[in-house]
Amino acid sequence: MGKPKFYDFCVHAVPDGDNTAPELAALAGYFGYGGIALANHSDKLPQSWPVLSLPEGFEIFKGIELVEENPSKLHGLIGKFRKSVDILIVHGGSETINRAALENPRVDILNHPAFDKSSGLNQVLAKAASENGVAVGLTLRPLLNSRGSRRIRLLSDLRANLDLARKYEVSLVLSSDAMSCFDLRAPMDALALAEICGLEEDEAIDAMSTVPEKIIFRKRPRNGYIREGVEVLEEVDYF
Amino acid sequence: MKRLLPSLRLKKRYLAFELICEVPANRNDLIKEVMSSASALLGDVVASECDIKVLGFEDCKGIIQCAHTRLKETRASMAALTRINGKRATLHILGTSGTIKRVTEKFLQNHKVFEPKSRQSPEIEGNR
Repeated sequence: MGKPKFYDFCVHAVPDGDNTAPELAALAGYFGYGGIALANHSDKLPQSWPVLSLPEGFEIFKGIELVEENPSKLHGLIGKFRKSVDILIVHGGSETINRAALENPRVDILNHPAFDKSSGLNQVLAKAASENGVAVGLTLRPLLNSRGSRRIRLLSDLRANLDLARKYEVSLVLSSDAMSCFDLRAPMDALALAEICGLEEDEAIDAMSTVPEKIIFRKRPRNGYIREGVEVLEEVDYF
Repeated sequence: MKRLLPSLRLKKRYLAFELICEVPANRNDLIKEVMSSASALLGDVVASECDIKVLGFEDCKGIIQCAHTRLKETRASMAALTRINGKRATLHILGTSGTIKRVTEKFLQNHKVFEPKSRQSPEIEGNR
């Protein structure tokens, strides 16, 4: 097995964050990421997708983070954006939105599920997430930028979600949720931080490399892919 | 006082790092932030076991020493550093090794510190 490729699936560029897409891409490439997804919040989308000259072996994926209070409107937004983006993230934060996102198989990731006094997941939602293949996002930026009681709260929410995810086999995605280039962290540093926060080493690597690859694969199947489990590996002319 | 025998000394790891920052930071501010970030993330007990020391720091790059069993904790607490003196900064670890000589040769010599473009072109920042 070669070195795993790491991906950061939630990076906010201008006008949502502080830095432009080329700056973020340059820094992420320098840190050794295999790719990033520009996922601006749905109320702050850029006018057009930037065309970038990318270093070799580095990809930028189109993403979006949907912010919506109303579940039925959320389903509408999902239908509207699903075709045009590679990665569809839902910004959670209330019981109804979390539920709507986790029960919709067209959603890729649910970020920030925590609200008031709950970590955002329970056994029902965790089961729905694993059935529908929706990953739960772990974000680094709030962890880095808070201290004391707020960070303690975030970490205990993370542990609660982690326990549920392990039990119901929900996939996890570790992303930076970067608003500026100073929120990006090198993959090895992010892994170390995740391990301190309670993930096992292989879980952390999966959350940064295997799960993102699966999400991309769902959107862009390889040549010769027919359906799950059936794939043409080598085409030979038999006649 | 007589120095400890080499076999009795604790083993160390040396981490080469670069600091990606808005404004160049000075050594004392960096040391203060590194220590406070370690104690905030790990707690004073574990941070003391890590035995973190900033050995050298100039031109936004330097070396940090830690206990070799606590490399992961040290890395994590370095990643948790977000600000120096109120200005945003990121500490990027370039690599680790067991000797200062090796870590300097392998990671720090001829290394150019990465600069986010925003620092080189402040007029773009002003326009926004």
